[in-house]
Amino acid sequence: MGTLHEEFVAAPLGKIQVLRGGTGAPLVYLHSAGGEAAGVEALEQLAERFEVIAPIFPGFGESEGIEQIDGMDDAVFHLLDLWALLGLDAPNLLGCSLGGWMAVELATRYPERVERMVLVNPVGLYLAAAPIAEMFGRSPGELAEMLFVDQTHPLAAAMHAMDEFSGDVGKQIDIPIELVLPMWKALGATARIGWDPYLHDPKLRGRLRRVTAPTLVVAGAQDGLVPLAHAQTYAAEISDARVAVVEDAAHWLIFEQPGELVALTEAFLAEPR
Amino acid sequence: MRFFSFHLMPYIGLDPSYTGPAWVTCPNSLFDPEQGGALYNRYLDELVYAEELGFDGVCVNEHHQNAYGLMPSPNLMASIVARLTSRMKVAVVGNALPLYDPPTRVAEEFALIDCLSGGRLIAGMVVGGGPEYYSFSVNPAYARERFQEAHDLILKAWTTPGPFEWIGKHYRIRYVNPWPRPVQQPHPEIWIPGAGSVETMEFVARQRYAYMGIPYFHLDVFKRTFQMFRDACEAEGYQADPLQAGWLVPIYVAETDAQARREYEEHLWYFVKRLLPGITIQPPGYTSARSLANILKGAGTFLLNVTEWDEIVAGRYAIVGSPETVTEQLVDALGQLGTGNLLGLFQLGSLPADLTRRNLELFAREVKPRLEREFPPGAPVHRPAAAVA
Repeated sequence: MGTLHEEFVAAPLGKIQVLRGGTGAPLVYLHSAGGEAAGVEALEQLAERFEVIAPIFPGFGESEGIEQIDGMDDAVFHLLDLWALLGLDAPNLLGCSLGGWMAVELATRYPERVERMVLVNPVGLYLAAAPIAEMFGRSPGELAEMLFVDQTHPLAAAMHAMDEFSGDVGKQIDIPIELVLPMWKALGATARIGWDPYLHDPKLRGRLRRVTAPTLVVAGAQDGLVPLAHAQTYAAEISDARVAVVEDAAHWLIFEQPGELVALTEAFLAEPR
Repeated sequence: MRFFSFHLMPYIGLDPSYTGPAWVTCPNSLFDPEQGGALYNRYLDELVYAEELGFDGVCVNEHHQNAYGLMPSPNLMASIVARLTSRMKVAVVGNALPLYDPPTRVAEEFALIDCLSGGRLIAGMVVGGGPEYYSFSVNPAYARERFQEAHDLILKAWTTPGPFEWIGKHYRIRYVNPWPRPVQQPHPEIWIPGAGSVETMEFVARQRYAYMGIPYFHLDVFKRTFQMFRDACEAEGYQADPLQAGWLVPIYVAETDAQARREYEEHLWYFVKRLLPGITIQPPGYTSARSLANILKGAGTFLLNVTEWDEIVAGRYAIVGSPETVTEQLVDALGQLGTGNLLGLFQLGSLPADLTRRNLELFAREVKPRLEREFPPGAPVHRPAAAVA
């Protein structure tokens, strides 16, 4: 497996943490509201074929500048800044959930800056008949139920273990701050973009026709957060797009089915344009 | 020492078969409007009665979409109380500024109550509870920014002749020019309730406002909180006045300790088990990392975690007993905290009207005079343990 090393770039918003490794065509990974990138097996596998570049969004990990992000406009301009700093013209994008939404926001506004897109359980749309479930105000264990099929997956199990600290409403006894803080920061950063409107941009659906990049929408069949209809809508409204459903996966399929995601991504990015 | 009677206006008679939280998603089909109307009238009587009993003032507060406190607009209640009384202070503790858009609405309504009462308003301003951010969908990640900007705008509206233009990040108003203006000049006394957020304390200290400790924690948590507040004032270069701090605590007085517990306990547990669940929800981005650490330190002692009567007594979650016991415990606690405002919750949970009334009477007649002797105006209230021993 390839390895990703950490570096920092001085972006206009502040210091940005970037994980980078491998050689090949550039593939930018945009993480979910969990802020995952370091030590993610799927990214290490992809680094065998691609130059994987995973910038950590402001407010997550050690990246600065969240106080200057007030919505997707700011997020898209931040991505353009990163493209310039990292010497990227039109990279491939792999975006999970929040990162998938961000990728689409970029691709609707600056279609020429995206080569191909793989969106994994992207948020960003509002479908009255299939609303996105509530992610805020949930305990880590409740979130794990929505994010994983297999509750014994090590990450899911760790989230359930956190509930023993936080427990029921109000039963917050002796929570180690170092356990809570990264999640607290990540949720706060997500809220800045996705609290209201809740994880969507009312204008986005009408703008999807602007996307020119061939797009693969990967959906976990058992996603407890984002219903399958969202992937189907993205695929229907983007001119060159299709859906791939992964059966034994929920929202965080990058952790639960890394092999399948890598295979789908590699095959899709290898297709002739 | 100033004495206030604080009312939450709780919903009594919540369907026993309902076991969920009392906040945000508690189905409003459980609210019986007839019962609600009776409660509002009863609670207003209890507030107005405080003036006759010699209290310095009453307090009302703002909560939304819940069974814990039925005042979505405390300003409505405060204006009724202002009209029906003539001497005591009317404290609104407070308006949740980020929920008002534009917040000049707060400047207007507070000024109206101040006019109506002849300058008896205490203007409380609060960030709003965690549940409110779910109930209003106002973005909690901007709660502090909006609070700050709304506060600055309201203060300017009260102290700068209008019209003027306000161009901020969250509010843009071409003509700020509220009618009416407050009677109290330059503006009414301002209270800020807080739950241990460091930024809030520093802000209150800087502005020389009064800091009200949000209740239902162990006395030790309040000791730390008010010490931090005094330190924050010292960092601003002055010594905090006792009247700059207030402690809110449930109080129940009866003839004897045994009678007090017998009459009070079930109503307290109704409050703890039925009305508090859901109040602690912490929306994302609502608290800074620095403050989160401080708030978590106190979280384990929150009243929701208390299940035994002895813990209630030992932690001073409520002061319950004979006039002697209540006096003794309050003298001790107030000395430890150093707060010059005592905000008593004399009605709690399902406590019925007759017991609430007698509680208020006994406190006013038997306890308040002794506390006034113990803590005369102008004298320091804080008595560190070492000095007492």
